[in-house]
Amino acid sequence: MSERLRIAITKGRLLDKSVELFEAAGLDCSPIKDPGRRLVHCVPNYPLDAVLAKAPDVITYVEHGVCDLGIVGKDTILEKGGGFYEVLDLGFGKCRFALAVKEGSDFYGTYKTRRIASKYPEVTRAFFEKKGMDVDIIKIEGSVELAPILNLADAIVDIVETGATLKANGLVPIEDVAQVSARLIVNTASMKLYKDEIADLIARCEGELERRK
Amino acid sequence: MSIIINTPEGTRDRLFAECQERRQVQARLTRLFRQRGFLEVSTPDTEFYDLFALSGSAIPQERMLKVGDLSGKICVMRPDSTTPIARVAATKLKAVALPQRLYYDQTVYRANPAHNGGSREIPQCGVELIGAKGKKADLEIIVTAIDALRSCGAPKFHVELGHAGYFRELAGRLELGEEKVEEMRALIEGKNFAALTDFLAPYAGNPASAALARLSRLFGGAEVLGQAERLAGKTPAVDYLSDLYDELSAAGYGQYIRFDLGMVHQIDYYTGVVFRGYVEGAGDAVLSGGRYDNLVGVFGREAQATGFAVYVDAVARTLPEISPPVLRTVVHYEPGYLAQALEAVDTRPAGTSELSPCRTLESSLNLARDKGAETVLVFDKDGERTVPV
Repeated sequence: MSERLRIAITKGRLLDKSVELFEAAGLDCSPIKDPGRRLVHCVPNYPLDAVLAKAPDVITYVEHGVCDLGIVGKDTILEKGGGFYEVLDLGFGKCRFALAVKEGSDFYGTYKTRRIASKYPEVTRAFFEKKGMDVDIIKIEGSVELAPILNLADAIVDIVETGATLKANGLVPIEDVAQVSARLIVNTASMKLYKDEIADLIARCEGELERRK
Repeated sequence: MSIIINTPEGTRDRLFAECQERRQVQARLTRLFRQRGFLEVSTPDTEFYDLFALSGSAIPQERMLKVGDLSGKICVMRPDSTTPIARVAATKLKAVALPQRLYYDQTVYRANPAHNGGSREIPQCGVELIGAKGKKADLEIIVTAIDALRSCGAPKFHVELGHAGYFRELAGRLELGEEKVEEMRALIEGKNFAALTDFLAPYAGNPASAALARLSRLFGGAEVLGQAERLAGKTPAVDYLSDLYDELSAAGYGQYIRFDLGMVHQIDYYTGVVFRGYVEGAGDAVLSGGRYDNLVGVFGREAQATGFAVYVDAVARTLPEISPPVLRTVVHYEPGYLAQALEAVDTRPAGTSELSPCRTLESSLNLARDKGAETVLVFDKDGERTVPV
């Protein structure tokens, strides 16, 4: 193999799982696990370099072609969109987008315009657009659960894993908006220019995912 | 007080080398197009929105930049050049015999999401071969596309062929509803391998389903055509592509050709062969084209057509940077010696000398020093002499 591929991996929760997947697929990820001060980490036994980034930046790097591949959550893909190939559902980082309301409230039982707080305004907009409902969307950067408590919003659209945080704040999920998990994405030009190299990496991941089934 | 106004998002000032790099690509492309018998046309920067909306343009409304018009109609900055040229071919050039070979060198305008670093002013050079169908017309446009990238000096590139008919035929065999077909098309275009397999699982009994499931992976060299045939049997689209490939190889173009049967963008617009050009160093396709037999007819003249556009700046960015010329000589002249001074400037390499606007030799020397020139060339009653800075 002639070319070294570069991959951007989302920092945090998805990183550990990504490393686990790659190691099971035969890649030596020790430099990623022990990064030191370096920003670019070389996989010693495979032509792959990794950079770690925040989720939306993973998409930016892949779209612009400075990284050939990326691992990022479907939540970020839905919110940010963009032009790239979304080749694999990696099966980890599973959670869901849900619409949650204050316990005991009747969200749909009114003609009043509803107000929704979310970290994901695009996902929220698309969801209610499909329903043909006009809603006011308020973007919140931090803990979205606070918005209904403070009476800023009637409901929230947010990532739900166990539902414990919602419950503790008197909120109940009433509807699923989308299922979320980590995805492997590929730059459109890289896919064509480094076909064999990328196909090999995809095949290794696919093989491991198949074993896990 | 001085006012501070920057350029709008997605636009920029281009200085010196950046202009030259763009001009160089444009010059190389248009020289090739003229050589191959294409004539230049230029269409308005603003057009009625209806031109694109009613002719079925694949560019979504929100990507078009709207501008006002005194008539009260909505206008847009031209989002692509093919539609206006189809309009021209069907109306202004109605009396001209087909086929017509037309080329353009103009900017298209597209609204990009904020802060993605993309420009909304996109210079394109492209050709349209209007009123010609069949293999020879497709061959001509494909080899011109290859020669276009080659003439620019692109180091490593290839042109990838697909066929709009292939997906249509396979999808037709599954007998899906329109919405389902679109859902599947999006999965194939996005090379969403896993989701596509899941989508097709209920149709596993149908042989077309196996081919569709592999469609997003059917890209690469000519071996792809054989794989496609093994999966779905003989199809007119794949037979046609393999015919084209034989002819292209015989003409010495085989090495630049790849295939992607999963190229299913703008499936309602393209009617036959589609293709894209990729250059090493560019993060997306730098050339895009294909056969669109129904567009010109929308404007009242039936004419099959094919063509492509090259993204000039995307190509320019992959080429070696140009360094602008360095000023060496400032030319100072006394009244009455303008002709001699001009001759001195005009006979030196472009950009290496310039006239001094200063009245005295001393000011001209200061000027030369400030600008980093090496010498001042003086013309006066004593003739011509050189003063080092």
